[in-house]
Amino acid sequence: MTSRNTLSYAYYPGCSLHASAGEYDLSTRELFRKLGIGLTEVPDWFCCGATPAHNVDELLSLSLCAKNMELAEKVGGDLAVACAACFSRLKTTQHVLSENDVKRKQVEKAIDAPVPMKGNVKHLLDILARDLGLDRLKQAVTKPLAGLKVACYYGCLLTRPTDVPNLDCVEAPTIMEDVLKAVGAETVAWSHRLECCGANFTLSRPGVVIQLSHAILDSAKEAGADCIMVACPLCHGNLDIRQEEIEGVYDTRYAMPVFYITQLVGLATGLGADKLGLDALIVNPMPLLKEKQLL
Amino acid sequence: MSRIGVFICHCGENISRTVDVERVAAQVGTLPGVAFSTDYKYMCSDPGQGLLKKAIQEQRLSHVVVAACSPRMHEKTFRKAVESAGLNPFLCEMANIREHCSWVHEDRDEATAKAIEIVGMMVERVKKNRVLPTITVPVTKRSLVIGGGIAGIQAALDIADAGHEVVLVEREPSIGGHMAQLSETFPTLDCSQCIMTPKMVDVANHPKITLYTYAEIEQVEGYIGNFQVTVRRKARSVDEDKCTGCGICMTKCPQKKIPNTFDRNLGMRPAIYVPFPQAVPNTPVIDRENCTKFKTGKCGVCQKVCGPGAVDYEQEDRLIVEPVGAIVVATGFDLYSIEEKPKGSAIKGYGEFGHGKIPDVIDGMTFERLASASGPTGGKILRPSDGREPKQIVFIQCVGSRAREKGISYCSKICCMYTAKHTMLYHHKVHDGQAYVFFMDARTPGKSYDEFWRRSIEEEEAVYIRGMVSRLYQKGDKIVVMGSDIAVGVQVEIEADMVVLATAVQPQKGADTLAQKLGISYDKYHFYSEAHAKLRPVECATAGIYLAGACQGPKDIPDTVSQASAAAAKVMTLFAKDKLEREPIVARVREAGCVGCFYCQKVCPYGAVEEKEIRDRQGNLVKVVAYVNPGVCGGCGTCQATCPSKSVELDGYTDEQIVAMIEAL
Amino acid sequence: MKKKKMLLSTETMDVDFVRKVEALSGTSVRRCFQCGKCSAGCPMATFMEHPPNRVVRLLQLGQWQRILAGRSIWYCASCETCSTRCPNKVHLASIMDALRKLSWDAEGPSKESYVQLANRLFLQNIRTYGRQYEMRLAAVFNVKSGQFLKDLMLGPKLITKGKLKMFHQKNKNMTEIEKIFGRIEEMRRNGEAL
Repeated sequence: MTSRNTLSYAYYPGCSLHASAGEYDLSTRELFRKLGIGLTEVPDWFCCGATPAHNVDELLSLSLCAKNMELAEKVGGDLAVACAACFSRLKTTQHVLSENDVKRKQVEKAIDAPVPMKGNVKHLLDILARDLGLDRLKQAVTKPLAGLKVACYYGCLLTRPTDVPNLDCVEAPTIMEDVLKAVGAETVAWSHRLECCGANFTLSRPGVVIQLSHAILDSAKEAGADCIMVACPLCHGNLDIRQEEIEGVYDTRYAMPVFYITQLVGLATGLGADKLGLDALIVNPMPLLKEKQLL
Repeated sequence: MSRIGVFICHCGENISRTVDVERVAAQVGTLPGVAFSTDYKYMCSDPGQGLLKKAIQEQRLSHVVVAACSPRMHEKTFRKAVESAGLNPFLCEMANIREHCSWVHEDRDEATAKAIEIVGMMVERVKKNRVLPTITVPVTKRSLVIGGGIAGIQAALDIADAGHEVVLVEREPSIGGHMAQLSETFPTLDCSQCIMTPKMVDVANHPKITLYTYAEIEQVEGYIGNFQVTVRRKARSVDEDKCTGCGICMTKCPQKKIPNTFDRNLGMRPAIYVPFPQAVPNTPVIDRENCTKFKTGKCGVCQKVCGPGAVDYEQEDRLIVEPVGAIVVATGFDLYSIEEKPKGSAIKGYGEFGHGKIPDVIDGMTFERLASASGPTGGKILRPSDGREPKQIVFIQCVGSRAREKGISYCSKICCMYTAKHTMLYHHKVHDGQAYVFFMDARTPGKSYDEFWRRSIEEEEAVYIRGMVSRLYQKGDKIVVMGSDIAVGVQVEIEADMVVLATAVQPQKGADTLAQKLGISYDKYHFYSEAHAKLRPVECATAGIYLAGACQGPKDIPDTVSQASAAAAKVMTLFAKDKLEREPIVARVREAGCVGCFYCQKVCPYGAVEEKEIRDRQGNLVKVVAYVNPGVCGGCGTCQATCPSKSVELDGYTDEQIVAMIEAL
Repeated sequence: MKKKKMLLSTETMDVDFVRKVEALSGTSVRRCFQCGKCSAGCPMATFMEHPPNRVVRLLQLGQWQRILAGRSIWYCASCETCSTRCPNKVHLASIMDALRKLSWDAEGPSKESYVQLANRLFLQNIRTYGRQYEMRLAAVFNVKSGQFLKDLMLGPKLITKGKLKMFHQKNKNMTEIEKIFGRIEEMRRNGEAL
């Protein structure tokens, strides 16, 4: 149980946050500590199965997620998820298993335990914008991100499909913008905030990622953004790690830093670059942050 | 001893598929009091009815039970047949073995057993039926028409031309409805105003028509032939009798920046206004929400400049009671809004099309105003954002319609045709422009309709793309349309200057509230329900109330006008009689038992219960008892259920009859 | 295959396959009225030989061989744009999942091997380690797909940024993950699950 003033959650970082997206994990922990929100990592959590599992074996996908929810229940509290893809899988599992008795029975047999349906699966955005609330978030700001023009990138999985995540309006979400405005940043209106970046084709078919992420970077640049903000390590990988490659293929230059939401919000609450893992970003954000006098 | 005849209908195969009708006939033939039983394929048909009449006469039957469908449709049919064979019609009852049995069961043996029980109950019931005399009531030969669009106008003119008085009530300050907003109309491209405005004038000048604009229905009481309708005439703030329609008030009004809803908010109007220049009546109305005088108390310019002194800030709403015998409901439609939908609404919006945030994404009615010679641009097709002429224009069909996910699964029927018309109007006005239409399939089943659609492609050079659009987004001053052509199997992208959405037809807001006042039924979308989809398409199930136009379902102008004239014909049929026969299913008070508590009077929804004095031979008052006026009683039975001394009974539904049914089980 | 005439009869329309897809996906195939909105918004449509709406159309006609022979289903990014915008509530993303599973079970005959290889390695990783090892996944993929130099330039960059860790701690509860895989396999052998 979380009382009004002391929020605390079971925390599911997911595989990427323990590897290529270490800075997302670090900044999440630091930000939540700063905001006084408790995070207890689910002990011995498993991979949620991500896209490959539901792609070819839905039962496995549902079972892995259900197993993680069972592990999380031992920690108690709602389940906080940072990665948009893990969030989507866990939330979808909860939705499917609450609607489909046949599948729930199969899953319960596979994990040899009842599926816990009570706890909520929540993305960090939901916790910041609603559980903590924008007002309390505003109060925590010591260094408003004034003058920083951010393109908030939702990608595909945060809000879709209509009935499942219930995070925000599926076609016109504002939750990222709401959070960023609360910490003093400017947000740009741009066309590709809900388009797909190519996701996990980064391994098998990188050409796909280059093409799709190029359109996203182009759109953000055209809208006059200084940087992009994401809430998913896959999106981050495609837009940040592959940015230089995309610039090469299309003979263009973006130099567009791609931040995790926790890094930008953390910055506004006065956390230092070392506690936000800013040095782990491939596109160097330091020139921009210095120009805007945010460091 | 009664001699009951039982007639079992097969209803084609509807009943006999599941119920063994022959076994039912044989079984009920053995019940005490049943003298004759038989089955037949279509009992309601002429030979079926003949069979029934013949049996009554030959078998000297005293009562009749027809086991068939719901009494809703054919109770009248069989009672008439029984009457023509010389029996009182109320000695005939129907046993519903279709809706209550064959349609809802699968097991033949069980269904047959149930059918036998249902018929058995009705046999016991009919034994207790009494001869009931027909009741006649007078008919008020005046009609109310609700809604002053083309449907209401047509119905009102037809009824009035037949010599009957009509009260026409319109919510807006002028009649004309949506048709007055249109530019040109399919399939002949005649100007809407040119064919519409003369009819509006006819309404205003017709000696038999009383026109109340800016008025709403407050309350409806009574029943067929005898309705009492209370009309609320909203305060116009302008005296209709004094106003000459010179319009000086409108030109002098300092408040001129109110979005003009008639022009779909493309133009502005003053606070005192007529919705459009050809309005009928040509009497302005003050929009009190936006008028400086009403908001701050200062101003009063319109009153000062009005020569005849017609402006009256003190005017209040007036309630008028109109006695009428029939009501035509013609409240029309509203368009699916492209704005964002409120949370919790069953209808979802189109966030993927920009929720009305992209200024040059407009709906079809807005395009009509742009194309109309009397519109805000004088008939030029110009973009709302910058006033430029769009050279690439994209039309998207089925926005809202046929979209279960968005909350509406029906086809809006008119959009295929009006979009084809829009491409033509566009081509006529922007010669170097190109129109594209994204569509699923073209639905053009009307006289000269398909030819019209083909003309838009073959002669007017519109490019039709079979496939829908996933998303629209603003890119510079263009709108990027992400579509697909499923015939080619590729994605299509168009950088458009303007996008027109063919939004769904929905009932008017508040359609449900009006229906509740009228006591008529409506579907889940709030379209009004006709009594029978095929055979009684212009009548409501509530007697004396008729439907015309798009309030019943999406309809184009030809269909609307046809239905309006049909509704008018139904009203005239009603008015052709001086007296109306009505069913004698009314409550009667057993005066000996009545203690005069008048609980029945309190609960009666029809106001049918009166007080009656009982006097002895010397004229001394013995007691006061309840009396039910049979002309007003609606036969609902509430009084019967309420009476503490069991002194009120509803003829045809007496306690004795109901108990007999239960005991037969 | 592509240009072969489609002979329709009760024999050539595989209704059982369609029912399997419907059971797995929990959505109706017949409900699709071919408006094409899914194909209009699909970010991957340009990479597919059958755009999404045509995949459903072929399914409606029971022509699964034509779908599985191509690579369309493996080029779906699971972004759920189609399901989200479908006007008629057809959950196409789930249909794609079901088709991939049935194709996967049949081991081909799809042309697309890279995506399947990546999926296979990914799932093997989960079974062996409980979690995903990005570096190992990428390295093994390159070896198995014969693209030894793929993304070579990214490597040093990622390692200096600490993004590719050489070692991971192993889950302590690895027997549990093996049990889950085992139980699912057993349920399938017993015909208790598709």
